[in-house]
Amino acid sequence: MVRHFLPDNSLGQFLDGLSLFGALHGPVRTTEGVEVFGPVRTESDLLLNYRRTLIPPKKYLLPPRQTILNYTVAAGYTLPDEPEPHIILFGVHPCDLQGIAYLDRVFLGDRPDRLYRRRREAITLVGLSCEPDEFCFCTSDENIPRNADLFLQHVEHGFLVSAVTSKGEEMLDGLGKLLASSRITPQTSAEHRMMTRIREVARSGKTFPDSPLWERFAARCLSCGACSVCCPTCYCFDVLENGALDGTTADRFREWDNCLFRAHGEVAGGTNFRPDRRERFHYRYLHKYLGFGTLAGVPACVGCGRCRVVCPVDIDLTELFTEDGDACS
Amino acid sequence: MHAPEFDSVPIPARIQTIQQLTADTALFRLKLEEKLPSVFIPGQFIQLSVPAGGEIPISPADLPAEDGTMELCVRRFGHVTSLLHRTKEGDQVGIRGPFGNGFPVDAMSGKDVLLLAGGLGIAPLRSLLFHLLRHRSDVRSLTLMYGAREPAVMLFKNELLDLANTGSLRLLLTVDFLTETCQTEPACNVGLLPTLLKGVQLEPGHSCAAVCGPPPLYRCTIDELLRAGVVEDNIYLSLERRMKCGVGLCCHCAVGQYFCCCDGPVFRYRDIKDIPGAL
Ligand SMILES: Cc1cc2nc3c(=O)[nH]c(=O)nc-3n(C[C@H](O)[C@H](O)[C@H](O)COP(=O)(O)OP(=O)(O)OC[C@H]3O[C@@H](n4cnc5c(N)ncnc54)[C@H](O)[C@@H]3O)c2cc1C
Ligand code: SF4
Ligand code: SF4
Repeated sequence: MVRHFLPDNSLGQFLDGLSLFGALHGPVRTTEGVEVFGPVRTESDLLLNYRRTLIPPKKYLLPPRQTILNYTVAAGYTLPDEPEPHIILFGVHPCDLQGIAYLDRVFLGDRPDRLYRRRREAITLVGLSCEPDEFCFCTSDENIPRNADLFLQHVEHGFLVSAVTSKGEEMLDGLGKLLASSRITPQTSAEHRMMTRIREVARSGKTFPDSPLWERFAARCLSCGACSVCCPTCYCFDVLENGALDGTTADRFREWDNCLFRAHGEVAGGTNFRPDRRERFHYRYLHKYLGFGTLAGVPACVGCGRCRVVCPVDIDLTELFTEDGDACS
Repeated sequence: MHAPEFDSVPIPARIQTIQQLTADTALFRLKLEEKLPSVFIPGQFIQLSVPAGGEIPISPADLPAEDGTMELCVRRFGHVTSLLHRTKEGDQVGIRGPFGNGFPVDAMSGKDVLLLAGGLGIAPLRSLLFHLLRHRSDVRSLTLMYGAREPAVMLFKNELLDLANTGSLRLLLTVDFLTETCQTEPACNVGLLPTLLKGVQLEPGHSCAAVCGPPPLYRCTIDELLRAGVVEDNIYLSLERRMKCGVGLCCHCAVGQYFCCCDGPVFRYRDIKDIPGAL
């Protein structure tokens, strides 16, 4: 893959060039001081050395709440027809790119999801290399994630820019004057031991039924759901209908749900298939590390570290793997 | 099998008749305005939309007919089912599906077939019963064991007795307890459903059982079925879970690593017996 050099002082113009293709979004700081993906007005808004946003970019593909059908007495149920604005999502780290690759497998696989596809097609991904910290353990076996359209790697005084997809090449075409050819070979890093371990566990289907950790997790979990909200690959959703009081119109929408909530396994009549936290952790574990359905055997954790950062009571499911005798940290 | 997309537009359907079966359960006969996109297999479910209420999974209680009619036997439980119970004949609802796998009707051919229904579990098994009665010569024998809490809530009783009288079906009914008002109920055992299996002996490999009922029913009938000679592979259990999308996306209904909505809702006992929490 050809890599071009983009000097720091041309980044502003480079971003202007990208925004010809859609609304530019990237890592920015809110007025409340939270690092989020959001609209970028000027180059100075961008956090080029951010660690991780609170909410991952899944919010662009699966908004927290999304209308799926409208209802009126006259027309019955109809599909909403809102055009999706084109978005250039700048500064996505490799872990989050892998998170999107996993969601693509779920929502564009054998049961394609129309709403997801529409949003996915309207988004261009510009990846950015990152500096890992003590919380994350992402896989760096592919140094340039294949699902980025463009990928930027931090190097001294600038970035190495690669076009990964034809969409990426098309965007670079008009930006050639800002780029110089480059012979710099970027550093590659080995797979983190924790990720190697997670992959082994997923292959072997281990469930650690006798680990004392389950009880310890269950005893202190607050069921706040933060670990799922912030996970780039948690996508469970509920479907609800909001009817007008007179029953003549309604909106059916899907909304992020959470497997650590009590109602997640509850059916009518009060039966709950996962009434206690321990069972809910098992469920989360099964889905996150071993996979359900056609994705059985495919681990969903991409090592972004968000759940370890946000959990108010320091629950870290990966302790199951270290407990098992493999020191990974 | 190709299930519709989870956000597909429901097929409009009119409520033709509503027959109140018990205080909280009614049989809704619907007329669909379009054909279902695929052939219905008993044990599959549809997603029923009650406008301005929401969508819920329901197993049709009969075989959807050529003229587009379909029967749903629904108990009033909560939000959506209560709204459904407030509808009138002529009102419009919506249907998507069918979803899920359904009972393996081909695997039942040539066998002694035992249907075990507890409470509302009779709904999907009535659909399977209708299918098997239509192809009665394909199976060696056909027995329905149906248990209800008390005589007043036994569903489809007269219809079932009529079918049994034709001789093509062996019918065994039981109630958990008798109430004072119906001490004189005929043809009815008193005791939990598994008591009907006491002493039954079937030929291993040439018998099968389809079970549907409230969660505790599975745990208490399986041992009796195995003892009666039905092999693990031939015990089909229709499981209930919370489900929203019907196509394995919303992730509420996993049983081990299977999805109840698309890998099930009917599972062979052998495939799920080692999964913690499956039964
Ligand atoms: C495969 C399958 C077949 C079924 N067949 C029948 C049938 O033939 N007759 C019948 O009366 N009932 C049947 N049920 C149960 C029926 O789906 C629930 O009674 C219904 O969803 C309750 O909705 P509600 O809004 O009235 O209850 P609430 O308690 O108000 O439920 C709120 C929401 O939770 C969800 N929910 C609650 N219970 C369930 C559940 N068991 N499964 C999935 N989602 C649930 C629904 O989306 C519902 O809108 C079946 C369930 C499944 C999974
Ligand atoms: S499980 Fe935790 S570390 Fe893994 S992807 Fe989700 S939030 Fe990131
Ligand atoms: S963030 Fe921690 S406390 Fe909150 S639900 Fe997750 S594990 Fe439990």
